[in-house]
Amino acid sequence: MVTRRSKPRITVATRRALWGWVFVLPALAYFAIFSFYPIFNAVVLSFHSKSVLSLRPPVFIGWRNYTDLLGSAQFWNSWKATGLFTVGTAVPLVILSLLLATLIVSRLRLQRFFQMALYSPAVIPGVVAAAVWLLLLDPRGIANQWVNFVLGMTGIDHRWLASPEMVRISTILVYLWGKLGFFTIIFIAGLGSIPNSVREAARVDGATAWQLYRWITLPLLRPTTVLVSIMATILCMRTFSTQYLFTQAGAPREPINVVTLGIYTTAIRDHQLGLASAMSIILLLVMFALAVVQFRVSREAP
Amino acid sequence: MKSELVPAIIWFLKFGAAFAQVEVVYWTHEDPNRTSLEERLITEFEAANPDIVVTRVTNPADQLAQLMLTAFAANRGPDIFNMDISNQFPYIVNERVAPVDAEAAGFGSAENLLDAYLPNMLDPVVHEGEIYGLPLELTNWTIFVNMNVFRDAGLDPLTDYPTTWEEMMEVADQLTIRDGDIITRRGFDFRYPWYLNFVVPMVEQLGGQLVGDDGVSGAVGDEAWLQVLSYFREWGPSGRNLGAPTYANARALFNFDNNDIGMMESGQYQIARIGIDNPGFEPGEGWMIIPFPQWENAVADVAEPYYGHYWMVNAQSNAAKQDAAWRFIGYLTQHADEYFERVGVLQATQELVDSETFRNHPYSDVFMSDLAKANVIYYAEDAPRMQQLLQDAIEAVLLQNREPADVLLTLREGIERTLRGEY
Repeated sequence: MVTRRSKPRITVATRRALWGWVFVLPALAYFAIFSFYPIFNAVVLSFHSKSVLSLRPPVFIGWRNYTDLLGSAQFWNSWKATGLFTVGTAVPLVILSLLLATLIVSRLRLQRFFQMALYSPAVIPGVVAAAVWLLLLDPRGIANQWVNFVLGMTGIDHRWLASPEMVRISTILVYLWGKLGFFTIIFIAGLGSIPNSVREAARVDGATAWQLYRWITLPLLRPTTVLVSIMATILCMRTFSTQYLFTQAGAPREPINVVTLGIYTTAIRDHQLGLASAMSIILLLVMFALAVVQFRVSREAP
Repeated sequence: MKSELVPAIIWFLKFGAAFAQVEVVYWTHEDPNRTSLEERLITEFEAANPDIVVTRVTNPADQLAQLMLTAFAANRGPDIFNMDISNQFPYIVNERVAPVDAEAAGFGSAENLLDAYLPNMLDPVVHEGEIYGLPLELTNWTIFVNMNVFRDAGLDPLTDYPTTWEEMMEVADQLTIRDGDIITRRGFDFRYPWYLNFVVPMVEQLGGQLVGDDGVSGAVGDEAWLQVLSYFREWGPSGRNLGAPTYANARALFNFDNNDIGMMESGQYQIARIGIDNPGFEPGEGWMIIPFPQWENAVADVAEPYYGHYWMVNAQSNAAKQDAAWRFIGYLTQHADEYFERVGVLQATQELVDSETFRNHPYSDVFMSDLAKANVIYYAEDAPRMQQLLQDAIEAVLLQNREPADVLLTLREGIERTLRGEY
């Protein structure tokens, strides 16, 4: 008896899955080459001693880069600078962008204009923005003149770039100015996705405007708020160009010596690629841990 | 048939010649005066050496070190390059540059090469008995004085200029104009952020050292360091408010004589730049040069250190490129007089220093007198980090008004950690 082997049949589901892979493959390849490989490479290098200029192969030194870093006061100061900047920037960034988004959405006219005006700093590269702010914050620049005018004083140098406290505030100001519009737009999109029917129902039940905002809008906006807070935290921890340009312009390094600046100087100035990789991996792990904590907290919140 | 053959032969000859040509790529920093000179020299060199093509690429001086590092890290460095020795020294110790081919460069032998330059000027590029670069420029800084600013403040620049650091503070104070706390005219501006250049000699004048003779001790000589740190604390906004690194760099302003800067530090190349920027600002009338001040209680007569920009050749370039590169560099060194006259950079050859051109150049005597008292700049592989540590220390006293004794402890710890190779 001759049996005919039937051809394997490709189901619709399999075909769809195959096409799915075809579409996803470019993105996967992109991330594999430009994200995962560098991360993997950095993990490997962080256990080696390697000079950028040396043609010799990296020397395996185990955990020494990590123990060196953990025993260095400079490294802990970098974390202090990063922490102060992140808290000082991310918290106001979330609150202000939420307030601005609410304000813009509540307006019937000029919504587009306010969105564009707020968003425009986000399209300016960080380096250019920092360079412009350097001119404004110069002792003879507009910042001193404006603050003195508002306060009715003359000739006071507020030392925007010179005193440790003011230089921290200056970097926060520059970052807030640059990113506020971006997060406001995200909140506007989030507010737009809340169904009107829910609000209408609450109004019919006699809710005041504040009650509507507190008990309807804010809870429904939680996914957007979580997204914005995680993005803001990660972006703030990765801040670099403002601090770099400010220190190049003579601002004291210690108060704004964020981890990314340390990574840059360790790799580019000191040529120590292994040590810089270890710093990058620690930063990555901390950012990852913070993102996980934020997710969990937002899930457990009532 | 014949009419088709001739153009074909010509085409093949041209193609063959082009194929046989060696291209050398030369990366250097932007300097308009030098660009026009080197473009002409390249044209002349290529005419005399049809087998060599030189491609000159310029980048901003403050970005060159980073670009170079990235290129070399990817094994795509240029055939020829120059930077300051603090940035170049790591290329020598990491075997990324080739020893000088004295014969190809036209010196005949290493002995002749050493004899051609002033004593010790090649020391920073000598490593394990080999010479790794030829000087594009050897520079020492002194003090440039705007005589008009002195006159405006009621001082006579020829008699009232400062000779000590104590006088420098007093004179700078007299020249400074403020609108409240905000300085609108500075008396003197240190050359921030090049702290190895001006802080180290100030300490050495008092008997201190950046790194001790044992090679493991940092910031040697407490009294010397405390005196210098206290001086900068008094200089800063919490003291007599005479200036800070957050103000615009003085050397970018000085040439324009806008009554905003009295004195600043620079090298001989500044003279050519003043001539370009402001031809009416004349030496002896508008500006003059004075020696680097000394402390009243100085124990050593030390001026600002000299540093070099050296032409180096990539060790990964093939033999033909290396040979062509040294021939080209050798050709450039034969025009040391033009480099000095047109660009104001001193290649420190014995022949140039003995020449009329050099002797007749404004204030060459001041520069040479200071050069005789100068040490070479600190140029170990960790030099950029040492500079950063000095910057942190000076900013801590000058901008943050911190106690010099505390700052000295931090500085010493940082230097010693660096010397041990720790972060």
